[in-house]
Amino acid sequence: MRPLKTINLAGLAFFFSLLLLWEISSRSSALQVYFPPVSEVVLSLFRLMLSQELLGHVGKTVKRFLTGYFLSAVLAVGLGIILGYFRLAYAFFEMLIEFLRPMPSVAIIPVAILFLGIGDSMIVAVTVYACTWPILINTIDGVRNIDRTLIHTGRTFGLGQWKILRRIALPAASPYIVTGLRISLAIALILVTTAEMVVGGGGVGYFILDEERSLRTSNMYAGVVLIALLGYGLNQLFLYIERKMMAWHRGAAAEEIV
Amino acid sequence: MKWDRESKLNGLIVFLAVIPVWELISRLELVNPLFFPPMSKILWSLYLLVFSGDIPYQILMSLKRAAMGYFLAAVVFIPLGIAMGLFGWVHRILEVVIEMLRPIPPPAIVPVAILFFGLGDAMKVFVIFFTCAWPMLLNTIDGVRNIDRVLMDTAATFGLSRRRAVTRVILPAASPQIMTGLRISLAITLILVVISEMVGSTDGIGYFILDSQRRFKVDQMYAGMLSLAILGYALNQLFLLFYSSVLAWHKGLTRMER
Repeated sequence: MRPLKTINLAGLAFFFSLLLLWEISSRSSALQVYFPPVSEVVLSLFRLMLSQELLGHVGKTVKRFLTGYFLSAVLAVGLGIILGYFRLAYAFFEMLIEFLRPMPSVAIIPVAILFLGIGDSMIVAVTVYACTWPILINTIDGVRNIDRTLIHTGRTFGLGQWKILRRIALPAASPYIVTGLRISLAIALILVTTAEMVVGGGGVGYFILDEERSLRTSNMYAGVVLIALLGYGLNQLFLYIERKMMAWHRGAAAEEIV
Repeated sequence: MKWDRESKLNGLIVFLAVIPVWELISRLELVNPLFFPPMSKILWSLYLLVFSGDIPYQILMSLKRAAMGYFLAAVVFIPLGIAMGLFGWVHRILEVVIEMLRPIPPPAIVPVAILFFGLGDAMKVFVIFFTCAWPMLLNTIDGVRNIDRVLMDTAATFGLSRRRAVTRVILPAASPQIMTGLRISLAITLILVVISEMVGSTDGIGYFILDSQRRFKVDQMYAGMLSLAILGYALNQLFLLFYSSVLAWHKGLTRMER
């Protein structure tokens, strides 16, 4: 439990007075379609959860998100270590990467629709594409910034190329890799929701847009709240896992020193 | 001549090699050429679209929205960030609201914006404004908070008024971090323009790409993506130019005052 002192009372008060203002102005306004009262949004959220209508959408979104995210993590970390370690490989592909990277990744959605149709595989593919960049760039940076002595030491002790990559390059670059993974977490959610909006086929992104189009606005806001909670939850989970993983890493490093 | 392994030329060769390889894959029909037209055809339609004024028009539409949202966000959120960085009470009051709004994935705000602003420019401007808020705000707050106390105390000792202290001391001292926020926001802006144009628009480069795909004008779709990649690259370079010139001004000023 947090001590009472660290709770930001002023901030909370301001937040809830905004909600209250919303509630009152909505109830007394003709624009209730646009601005349904907060209480109604909360009620819709509960109703949708109970009717399990929303849970199906959440399940779809989470499945696509996790598949895309993990695929891109494996792909980008592997590729990044190779490109970071072998100068020649990086020299070959640097320009291609620099050209493709600034292109907004969502522009790949139409291409993915062409090749993969409008199913799950298309959404996963665009997520993989978009998430790959930050992880890749950070991994390359991480590996390039490794203290050369570490690698030389590895060589001196007769480690093979593969072992050096796995036992030295990967752990030493892991702080950078984690940064890339954290950036990609937000990007993955952006790509999944966008793709769902563009092609339909279920998911929270589709749900929000669909509710807007049918002017069930309290449901729409409920969807927005839900996806914000989803994003927040995934971020917290990531931070939790990061602490665990880095603790393990620290432990292992200490062990090897001894 | 000795082969320089780290020369930029290697990258250029690989980059240019993509064109004939693409052409070959398409001509040999290794991939359905309906989805994967020859590079020559793509470049030809890019040429046609550029000189018919079609792509320049779409890009101009997108740029207009991007610029409006981006600058509006900068004008609102940088001063707000400075205020939040300087005054603890402002920070405490707004903190909870910010923490509640920040996890919302940007595309989820698109339907809400459509509801309020329709499908016009205002919708896209709002979406960009909302999304750019976080990197600009948080980086400015950080920048202001990390200013060397001695600087501020010196300003106070020399009897600078609050306003002069802000413009002459705080703004320059926090500017590297503010620039970081601006750079992150630039990439986000481009992504959000494309997203909002794909979900609800009748023009703009994002719409153009998706629409070309839906009409099966695949070569035009690739041409649009190519122009988007070039646009992204150009904007990034332009920002770097701006960045170095701003910092040069900053450096010049400090030297002059000394």
